[in-house]
Amino acid sequence: MKCNKTKAHKMNKIIKAKLITKIYSKNGSVLVKALQDVSLEIEKGELTAIMGASGSGKSTLMNILGCLSMPTSGEYFLDGVNVNTLNDNELAKIRNSKIGFVFQQFHLLPRTDALENVALPLLYSERSNITKLARQALEDVGLAERIHHLPSELSGGQQQRVAIARALVNDPEIILADEPTGNLDSRAGLEVISIFQRLHAEGRTIILVTHDQEIAEHANRIIRIKDSKIVGDEKVKNQLIARDELENLPTEKEVMP
Amino acid sequence: MKTLRLTTNAFKGLTKNKMRSFFMMVGIIIGITILVIVLSITQGANKKIMTRINNFGPNAIMVHSGGGKMRGPSSVSEANLTQKDLRDISSIEGVTTVSPFQLKPEMAIKYQNQSTTASVMGAMPNWADVWNRGVSKGDFIRTEDVELLKKVCVIGETVKNQLFPNSNPIGAELLIGKVKFKVQGILQKRGASPAGTDFDNLIVIPFSTASRRLMNQPKYIAMMRVIVDDPSHLKIISKQISQILRHNHHLSSDEEDDFKLRSSTQIIKMIKGVTGTLHIFLLLIAGLSLIVAGIVIMNIMLISISERKKEIGLRKAVGARRKDILLQFVLESLAVTLSGGIFGFILGIVGVKIMELATSIPAVISWEALALALVFSFIVGIIFGVQPARTAARLDPVETLR
Repeated sequence: MKCNKTKAHKMNKIIKAKLITKIYSKNGSVLVKALQDVSLEIEKGELTAIMGASGSGKSTLMNILGCLSMPTSGEYFLDGVNVNTLNDNELAKIRNSKIGFVFQQFHLLPRTDALENVALPLLYSERSNITKLARQALEDVGLAERIHHLPSELSGGQQQRVAIARALVNDPEIILADEPTGNLDSRAGLEVISIFQRLHAEGRTIILVTHDQEIAEHANRIIRIKDSKIVGDEKVKNQLIARDELENLPTEKEVMP
Repeated sequence: MKTLRLTTNAFKGLTKNKMRSFFMMVGIIIGITILVIVLSITQGANKKIMTRINNFGPNAIMVHSGGGKMRGPSSVSEANLTQKDLRDISSIEGVTTVSPFQLKPEMAIKYQNQSTTASVMGAMPNWADVWNRGVSKGDFIRTEDVELLKKVCVIGETVKNQLFPNSNPIGAELLIGKVKFKVQGILQKRGASPAGTDFDNLIVIPFSTASRRLMNQPKYIAMMRVIVDDPSHLKIISKQISQILRHNHHLSSDEEDDFKLRSSTQIIKMIKGVTGTLHIFLLLIAGLSLIVAGIVIMNIMLISISERKKEIGLRKAVGARRKDILLQFVLESLAVTLSGGIFGFILGIVGVKIMELATSIPAVISWEALALALVFSFIVGIIFGVQPARTAARLDPVETLR
């Protein structure tokens, strides 16, 4: 892995993207310009929301930030490392050790219990005390009682918490959450957001990709994307606190599967 | 460590979708079952051949009177071998012993009020050496018995049990046909041939007595047993015997042999001729079913991969490299084929045991069969598992997680 020394003094900038363009082409002819000259920097410990309508390019940006795909042009530094220079195996290692993904669809393995789902990233790491770490991550998201439940035996909110535990388990630098509340009811969604806010309070760097203004206002910074370009980047003045909102929700029976 | 984790995961994965695993395994199970059964039959047959050869004598040539394709020993009534034949064969280089004998099957035997039937052989003293079978009690035929045309006999266990169930036969006089013979020994037990011939239902008398007093065949000899110094000379000596006999019997080149030669080489040929075709046929079936099993596995793997695209994408997102995914799916297909191979081996053993009960084929279960079952399962798993695994490893996580 190459480390760019000139950026070493800016190590607090965990993400540094410069003029990133992503073009999807088929049969050689240009089809979609998904991202155009996007530059952004994210500091360590920020809770950032990336907002945009569907088709705006926000998912493409997330895939690039998550090292799942490479930009057509432009440079991307993650934790000081120039991602463009990495090969497939090095990218896999980066995804494994520095990035935790949370998806809208949860993407838990069926027929596999919560503990094993959470342990999945550890399978591809060099760590040894897998079960202990996975158990700890599940305790961290409040699912200590559910470690041997299958995804089908868990509610949507619980499934997403398992997914968050999986994202946390290898102690990554950033957590990338793509519409994490999209498949959840408002209470379960707020619970998930409150976990993110707690993790942020504990010093984690979190990027929330969403199309929902209200969800985005739980972050402390909102980056807006429209038509493949960044059109706004602002601090959130009145940050919403999910925990408070949960308390104000009309009390209803705990949603259980 | 990492590989070990992936391996255990692959085997655990089998139990997560039992139906799919079962269908993937069926073909392998059938193929390996047949393979194990065929191997067992082959080895059983080989064992049988070896027993037959050892019974026959690995360095013996039997010379039978009478030509044609008729099997079994020649009786005294068709005897056409001469004393000159005997002398000429004895003088062939490499021939150590020649033992002529007369044979008359199904002769009436009587002792007091007990009667039975048995084969009667007129033999020389060297019969005991060439058959590697002496007496368990008493004396065998002695040189003086032959010289003096004595009416003495040595009886087999079956005859003894028939006629002397409770008494000592040595010294007793029994009737062979209408001639009185004195029992002077009991033959060592030999048991029955695979074809069912009882080697113990036999009475041996002096060669001369048999020829002149009992069987009325003073001139010709029914059979000879020729012992050669080395089994590798069997072929050439057989050829020489054949030439001598054809010459002595004045056979022209267009006439067929009026004698038959048999040695262990012919016995091997005979048995292999019967079982060989069957083996090739069964091995073909085993091979075909393994190939079909492999294709089925490959198809189910490909289907399963398209069903598990999301899983593959996710694994890549959390850090699996291409080779991790490749390894995972190869291991999964190996887990299927190796488990199938082991089930097949067990089923094969059961099948062999059942066959042993139903037929006379002895069940031989060897470690080679298990090793071969595992090797074939492994090969099928690799050959038909790699292609789907490569397809899986090439999937783009961005596409699959959409």
